[in-house]
Amino acid sequence: MSQPLPSANASTSLQVRHVRKSFVSGQVRSTVLHDLTLDIRAGELTLISGPSGCGKSTLLAILSGLQRADDGQVIALGQDLGVLGARALERFRLRHTGFVFQGFNLFPALNALEQVELPLSYLGLAPAEARRRAMASLEEVGLGPRTSLRPSELSGGEKQRVAIARALAKQPDLLFADEPTSALDAANGQTIIDILHRIARTHGTTVLCVSHDPRLVGHADRVLAMEDGRILSDRVPPSPSTPATGFEETP
Amino acid sequence: MVALARKTLVYEWRRFLPAILAVCFAGLLQLLQAALVLGIFGSASVYITGSSADLWAGYPGTQSVNLGRSIDAGVEMRLRMDPAVAAVEPFHWVDADWRGPNDTGGVSVFVSGINTRPDGMLFAQALPPALRARLNEPDAVIVDRADLDSLGVGIGDSAVINGHRVRVVGVSSGLRALGGVNVVASLATAATLDTDPSNANRMTYFVARLHDPGQARRVAVRLRGDRAFGNYDVWTAKSFARRSRLYWIFDTGAGAGVLFLAGIVFLVGAAITSQTLMAAVIGSVREYATLNALGVGVGALRRVVMEQAFWVGLLGLVGSAVLGAVAMAFARSRNVPVALGPWTTLACLSLCMGLAIVSGLAAMRSLHRADPATLLR
Repeated sequence: MSQPLPSANASTSLQVRHVRKSFVSGQVRSTVLHDLTLDIRAGELTLISGPSGCGKSTLLAILSGLQRADDGQVIALGQDLGVLGARALERFRLRHTGFVFQGFNLFPALNALEQVELPLSYLGLAPAEARRRAMASLEEVGLGPRTSLRPSELSGGEKQRVAIARALAKQPDLLFADEPTSALDAANGQTIIDILHRIARTHGTTVLCVSHDPRLVGHADRVLAMEDGRILSDRVPPSPSTPATGFEETP
Repeated sequence: MVALARKTLVYEWRRFLPAILAVCFAGLLQLLQAALVLGIFGSASVYITGSSADLWAGYPGTQSVNLGRSIDAGVEMRLRMDPAVAAVEPFHWVDADWRGPNDTGGVSVFVSGINTRPDGMLFAQALPPALRARLNEPDAVIVDRADLDSLGVGIGDSAVINGHRVRVVGVSSGLRALGGVNVVASLATAATLDTDPSNANRMTYFVARLHDPGQARRVAVRLRGDRAFGNYDVWTAKSFARRSRLYWIFDTGAGAGVLFLAGIVFLVGAAITSQTLMAAVIGSVREYATLNALGVGVGALRRVVMEQAFWVGLLGLVGSAVLGAVAMAFARSRNVPVALGPWTTLACLSLCMGLAIVSGLAAMRSLHRADPATLLR
């Protein structure tokens, strides 16, 4: 890596040190991540972009504690994820992380409010508090009036907003989004990226977004371009986005 | 707490319906076969269950009421000597050969020689006092209405038992026995029909009524094993009836058949139920994986699957209980012998809940596919 080793400071929430990862398929061993080192700061929307197969999703999985690195160190919120066992990793994720996936992964049987409440109940919150937080999150993503609708009654953009509200309601320090706009049209994609950006700004959350969607580049605080398991560039886009205020969308 | 398991079950009921039906029909099958076997073989103990006696004294080791051998007539005195005993009555059992007036060939019959007094204990439920009094006529017998055809007689007709002429003076219901036709006569008539000279001064059974039926078990223990009156044993009516039924159930192989079929029903039901539950888990595997990514533990996800299995089991049980009750009522209305006690019902229904739980455990294994890393592409 050509980058100097960044020093950890108060706003650095994720530190990656010399992380390697490779997969074996049959006789072939392919390296997905080559000795990666980087820092990601809180209160920012960091975008990792690159062509498919560049290792960006693997990086996200390792940073979020869903997968383990073969080598190197990942320190999230001051905690070395490599030393945590499976149960401890689950607890870490429960307390600190939120996820938004490309597929919305909502339970067909639950309405929007219940989707958001569901993980909160495992946090040990009182039912009234869980409901209050779920309502607040849904209002924050502009779905206040549609809380009683099931996924089948929501548009794609609305489903993704429910998924964001589900992640946001936990009040996570780290929010990971994997291709959150890939399944959406331009307007809905715009809405989603604005919401993610605003979450980083207003909650001080570390938002790490992985996408090959070029529309998102202009909206991120920082863009890391990846290719072949290496980070090629680390830059601040010229025109930072201003989060939109409305949530009008075309279903 | 969001009731994920229940809400999914209600919303996606079509997906769970095969499992519920599998549990339901497994339960129904178990209930009906148990009811039929118990009903059919329950008639083996009709002599005991149709009588009001609390204690039965007979030959030691008698496995079923129809296999009785004679005991010394002095046993009656032994029973009467006990202060707990209110009344004692002899029961003369004769294995006999029936020849009717019509061409029915020889029919193997069991002649029950009973006390004909209105307060007689034997067949107290099947024979009302007026009918019972008719047995006082010489050579009078009573048979079950359903047996008239196989005996080839009608009321008032004569027939021959062991070479003696008898006359059918009436019919009743609730006298049908297993293994042969039951013919009721007075003690005097039965004695004339018994051609075995070694049975003189001996009796097949003595039955006793107690002042306090609740003491039956204790009194039976007290009365048995007194060698002064020859070989005899004393049982409570309940245990003797149970022993007779079990003898028939296992002697005929029906018991093994029931257990075998129960095993098959369990396996088939579990196969369908576990496949359905597995499909439900796999259908929601991405959502489960998302929950796991958000930190909801695998244990909590397993509980959701088990809760679904429980509700599937419960709904299936309710279904089989309702259908079972309907089928039992229909069988009774058609005189099909069915009998089902609360414990048997409970055992059948527990087997079905066990089936659902085992299926849930099998389906739980599909959760290993809910790996959140697979959601990242």
